[in-house]
Amino acid sequence: MKVILLRFGELYLKGNNRNVFESMLINNIKEKLQGEEYRFQKTFGRYVICDYKPNREVDIVEKLKKVFGLYSISIAEEVDATKEDIENFIKNIKIKTENFKVYVKRADKNFPISSMDFAKELGGIILENNTNKNVELYQPQTLISVDIRLNGKAYIFDEIIKCQGGLPLGSAGKALLLLSGGIDSPVAGYLMAKRGLKIEALHFHSYPYTSEQAKEKVLTLAKKLCDYVDEVKLHIVSFTKVQEEIHIRCRNEFMITIMRRIMMRIAQKICQNNELGAIVTGESLGQVASQTMQSMTVTGGVVDNLPIFRPCIAMDKEDIMEIANKIDTYQTSILPYEDCCTVFLPKNPVIKPTIEKCLKEESYLNIDELVDQAMQTEEIVVLKRD
Amino acid sequence: MIYLDNAATTKMFEEAVGEYKKYACDLFYNPSAFYRQGVEVLKCINDARKSLIQKLDAGCGDIIFTSGATESNNLAVFGSKRNGNWNYIFSMGEHPSVFNAAKELERQGNKVFFVSLQENGEIDYSQLESLVDEKTRLVSVMHISNETGAVNDIKRISQIVRKKSKALIHVDGVQAFNKIEFSLKEFDIDFYTISAHKFHGPKGVGALYVKNKNNLKNIIFGGGQEENYRSGTENVAGIMAMKWANEQIDVKRNFEKTLKLKKLMESVLLKDEKVKIVKSASPYILSVSYSGVNGETLARALQDEGVLISTGSACSTKKAGNRILENMGFKKSRIVSSVRISFNAYMEEDDIKKAGEIILSCAKKLALLQV
Repeated sequence: MKVILLRFGELYLKGNNRNVFESMLINNIKEKLQGEEYRFQKTFGRYVICDYKPNREVDIVEKLKKVFGLYSISIAEEVDATKEDIENFIKNIKIKTENFKVYVKRADKNFPISSMDFAKELGGIILENNTNKNVELYQPQTLISVDIRLNGKAYIFDEIIKCQGGLPLGSAGKALLLLSGGIDSPVAGYLMAKRGLKIEALHFHSYPYTSEQAKEKVLTLAKKLCDYVDEVKLHIVSFTKVQEEIHIRCRNEFMITIMRRIMMRIAQKICQNNELGAIVTGESLGQVASQTMQSMTVTGGVVDNLPIFRPCIAMDKEDIMEIANKIDTYQTSILPYEDCCTVFLPKNPVIKPTIEKCLKEESYLNIDELVDQAMQTEEIVVLKRD
Repeated sequence: MIYLDNAATTKMFEEAVGEYKKYACDLFYNPSAFYRQGVEVLKCINDARKSLIQKLDAGCGDIIFTSGATESNNLAVFGSKRNGNWNYIFSMGEHPSVFNAAKELERQGNKVFFVSLQENGEIDYSQLESLVDEKTRLVSVMHISNETGAVNDIKRISQIVRKKSKALIHVDGVQAFNKIEFSLKEFDIDFYTISAHKFHGPKGVGALYVKNKNNLKNIIFGGGQEENYRSGTENVAGIMAMKWANEQIDVKRNFEKTLKLKKLMESVLLKDEKVKIVKSASPYILSVSYSGVNGETLARALQDEGVLISTGSACSTKKAGNRILENMGFKKSRIVSSVRISFNAYMEEDDIKKAGEIILSCAKKLALLQV
């Protein structure tokens, strides 16, 4: 019987919490496969998806590839874990490459023959039925794996499909992602989701300085993230008034710094209102003037009791772009619509701001009132995976 | 809501919608069908050809129905392409459906020249004269600029071309047909593009006027409709609705009415010294800038005030920069501030006045922030 074999990674490390993590992972798998017909089996160290419709296999695999916490999957033949049954299946294997290797792994140590010996024997059987093929132990073009499990079944497969890895979505809690519409922020959201964080997102728009299309673009990005995180509650806040006030009252070179400090204050409020445990940004050290160490000190300075996660902090733009391509957000991110960080842009933004200087600039503003006014414009859109 | 983006598209005449429905639901037959109903429908679309030729005052020649101006322009450009050492001449002011076709010709290894624009938006006629030679295969120049409303002197262009070569002449007349009076007979050109939805007809239908079909090759292959120049079942309902709109429009009357509207808008806007307008001969299009105000921001702010305008050709707003205004020698700051206001003849003067005042007050507000 053809089945899909699921392996999970770091859950091994979780000791006593393992059960909690596992049940989360299983729930997430079931959530992702909603609408599919299948049977789910749990064996020690593996999950097995069986009794699915053969024509749904590709789709099921694609969905599973987006489940955080799964390390890899294989499409395998399940047979009874007897020498005879395994040999019977192996007999009919046709090797398509020039060489191959058989690898046997026994979780069931009571199996009557050692892994090495059994692999040798199975290799012999394959050679008999595949003349002109060779055994290659070091760099085989085809690797036939035989995984003999404790549930009395053996799984035979020739491909290991890598999945996301990471930790089950939700196992680390829930955080607020600042989603600008650029390349970095969706990647940051993805990376933190991979470490088990559910994601809500916050987008600032500056209509009419920014366009409807810019907002639509962010909705599209949030929707794309749903492929991985199932659901994104997107908070959309108008930043127009704040930017106009800063523009009128503060020194031009402080525009971005003050703007970001106010964004962080609003983010913190939204975290409090929605029980979110962290703020996530797509900042990368030194990428732009507002992403220097000093800038991050002053922008982070307004956040009291929450960690700020910046998973892209040590990444080069190329590396971020590579992930953006992988999660299919890149092409959307590069659509040429202005976001609120590009309007009112000063010619020479301050690179090394200090808290004192920021406080001085902010003294010209009624920060609390601006934050409250902005909060009143909050719109919420909940996006879900199709 | 006051709609001032008529160069992007116009509202369909109600009666044209009725005509559309008639040919979509009652006389829905395929004009290529052998039975009587099909033949009747074919007669109807042939009448539509005559109706267009008459309005164009072409005398002779044919109409090839297409899916719209983009297709007509592509047909004219690629359908007149020939192997050999030919050159092709376009203006820098062309709509993307001609300009990008020209770029494709160039990419395919053909010699392509672009004629610059003068400050008033018309092409540089002397440059055209210097570029045309006996190896020129096609000259394609738009009649009226969709960005500025500048009207090119087509008669002068054809005289320049005919004097020095046997080149074919194509004119994209999307913003001119059924908007200003002209006679193709006088123009002496080979191809003319028209689009129904710019004169209150439906979207998805247009035509290419062709003086002599021997000069054209088809670029679409299929069932041989339109005498094999454009395979694909004719959009009968669209064509008949276009015919209706075509026959409804009194070009002279509309021109005068629209000119009044444009003058009124100019007089309202020019009360503010920060407003600069591009003087142009088409009454339908007005290119304006308000010093220090970003055009896109202004257009969006106006949307909230119930006035719809555009920042240039709606077909190309996704692209950064503005090729046409740049080529006219405008400074970047003015290009960024530019918006396009475009009229139709059926608007009320009160609305124009009101819209003008809203535009000014929005622009003033934004200018305070000096963005």
